[in-house]
Amino acid sequence: MSGMSDALALLALPFAASVVFVLMHAYLGVHVLRRRIVFADLALAQLSALGATVAFASGYPATSAAGFGYALLFTAIGAALLTLTRSLARHVSQEAFVGIVYVVATAATILVVDRAPQGAEHVKKILIGSILTVEPADVAKFAVLYAVIGFFHWLARRPLLALSDQASSAGRTRLAVWICDFAFYLSFAIVVTSSVTTAGVLLVFSLLIVPAVIGSIFSGKLSVVLLIAWSVGIVASAVGLAGSYALDLPTGAAMVTAQAGFLLLAGLAKVLLFVDSQRRRRNLRIAATSIAAAILVTLLASSVWLMTVPTGDQPLLAVVESATGIGPTQFLRPSERDAYQSATRDALRFQGEVDRLNAMEKAARYQGTPLSDDDIRRIASYQKTFNEMARGERFVQEVLRSKTQVRARWIVGVPGALIAIAGLLWFTRRHWNGHWWGRHRLPGTTQPPASGNSPSRRN
Amino acid sequence: MRAGLLGLVAATALVAAPALAAIDVVATTTDLAALVSVVGGSLVTVESIVPPGADPEAFEPRPGDLGRLRRADLVVRVGLGYDYWLDALVKQTGEKRLMRGGEANLDASAGIPLLEIRGQSVVNEGGHAHGVANPHYWLDPENAITITAGIAEALIRIAPGQREKIVANRAGFLAQLDARRARWSQTLAPFAGTRLIAYHNSWPYFARRFRLDVMAVIEPKAGVAPSPAHLARVIAAGRKAQARAVVHEPYEPEDASRFVAEKLAVPMVRLAVSVGSIENMGNYLALFDYNVATLAKALGARSP
Repeated sequence: MSGMSDALALLALPFAASVVFVLMHAYLGVHVLRRRIVFADLALAQLSALGATVAFASGYPATSAAGFGYALLFTAIGAALLTLTRSLARHVSQEAFVGIVYVVATAATILVVDRAPQGAEHVKKILIGSILTVEPADVAKFAVLYAVIGFFHWLARRPLLALSDQASSAGRTRLAVWICDFAFYLSFAIVVTSSVTTAGVLLVFSLLIVPAVIGSIFSGKLSVVLLIAWSVGIVASAVGLAGSYALDLPTGAAMVTAQAGFLLLAGLAKVLLFVDSQRRRRNLRIAATSIAAAILVTLLASSVWLMTVPTGDQPLLAVVESATGIGPTQFLRPSERDAYQSATRDALRFQGEVDRLNAMEKAARYQGTPLSDDDIRRIASYQKTFNEMARGERFVQEVLRSKTQVRARWIVGVPGALIAIAGLLWFTRRHWNGHWWGRHRLPGTTQPPASGNSPSRRN
Repeated sequence: MRAGLLGLVAATALVAAPALAAIDVVATTTDLAALVSVVGGSLVTVESIVPPGADPEAFEPRPGDLGRLRRADLVVRVGLGYDYWLDALVKQTGEKRLMRGGEANLDASAGIPLLEIRGQSVVNEGGHAHGVANPHYWLDPENAITITAGIAEALIRIAPGQREKIVANRAGFLAQLDARRARWSQTLAPFAGTRLIAYHNSWPYFARRFRLDVMAVIEPKAGVAPSPAHLARVIAAGRKAQARAVVHEPYEPEDASRFVAEKLAVPMVRLAVSVGSIENMGNYLALFDYNVATLAKALGARSP
């Protein structure tokens, strides 16, 4: 099928790029987590954007050597600032300084863009990212660059890891600490600066942090953490890319969401699978109880909402209606039901007319006799009329819908609320029992396991 | 940068009519500012709120604009939700005459034959503008006739004594426009029916006037990256229909446009959406000179 091969051709390079990104970023992410400066990449990326924008404002294209030089210079300044913050961090958390660097760099970029509007393209690009349209030469460039930086990190792994891990820089001179810190931040800055123009800030941040967090959940040993982070990061990227294709979603955002999904799964796996059987049972019970409680509380809130403001938006009712296929027509009289259905039909039909006229006008732009301005005006006025009529039909639908909600007010609202309350009471029964027990217990009898049995009171 | 064009206009105004207090006009975009300056000539000083080259649909006004608006004798806007931020800005000034429907507020879209009317009649949904109809109507040179008519009428209302001068200015501009329009149409005539892909949906009016088929748009919603499925559809459709160029707006990120162009082995053409979105483009006629020549060159290079 050509559609399938098209998809593969389209997704192969982005996938290759994300594999390269994951290998480098997840490793740096472990450092960043240990240094407790998770937003450093945003600050450095923004500084590089500022550099590129300043280059542009001074007359160099962002892609020129000068443009790259400016970006590099600004990120080096950022690396130096982050190095300095280690000594400042005695008084305030380093994260605060990272945040300040990020915000100030962003604001400065906006000010520079205001002077040189064409530079805005670069800023937009960093925000949105474009991993989907990455080119083979870029992937190769990233692979070589990261191999070099990775090699450097491997050579200097001992001092770098020691500095990331610790708060104490014991046994080292202050100068040595500074040099190591600066080298780390500079290499980090180069990686982030290069990846952010392709992947965008959101994806770079999540590739950096999420796999490293997932790895760290399961182990404290660097090799294990990395192995988990790399595999999960690559799988999550593949899932995100595939989902983005299948569901027609913007790629970067879909990949970020996929990473988050894997983090959630990892969290569940941690508390449900990687524990002894007794804790697993307890955790399962807590999970089940919380989910059930959340559903019951939602049901209670919706029922009360339906009873108090029946004509308002009823999100839960709408979800139930669309899931079960039981439309709002249930509570309508036959004549009203006909009106509702014909309004639905007509609204669609009028919308269809508007689209048909648009298609006709569009075709006439380049084929057949051109339409005159008066023809165009006539079409536009028909379309406006159809739009108004469609709005009228939608209004009819809304009126009838709120009518059904008024009728459903007590019929649905009261049982819903009662079920929810009964359910909540049932779930907390042990809590009440426990209290009862606790008050009327005779001295000397054994302690009932009340606290262990009332999950709703824990967490 | 924005001082360039406007300073020039202001300077000529000061030199030519030192005795007269010039009519102070604020236009939202550079295109409208350019048209105001040809109609008003030495009688007006005109400034645009959006600087040349900036994206008017993603624009953030600043305090200086308030002062500029307060002093203005006339505000000219694109309308159709394109410069939706003007309403909030004018409200800040508290000047009733500048507000929608006020005597000093000119919506240049009045009387324009509008394309691509949409379902919503409410403007300004989510900050994006294509609510009522496609707003890029100044990209049809013929619409300049209607736009300048509105501007001339508004200026005459402010300075009735200058009627003749204003009418003559406009007639002079329209004569120039007429001559060029014939030339532009002639240049693009061989490419009638040519299929193009655009990054943003900025070109329906341009396409209608010059008989082009903008068959697909890469960016489905402003500021949202295209999904792979959408991109694959665009490429497949472009390949099937033999699209011959990808048209790109200068202030948008290039990657997706370049990617589609490379897949289809066609040129990517940067066309100016507004006066000044390409360097050294000072006026409305130059906008079309540039776009027509650039497009013809890109398409001509590949024609058999």
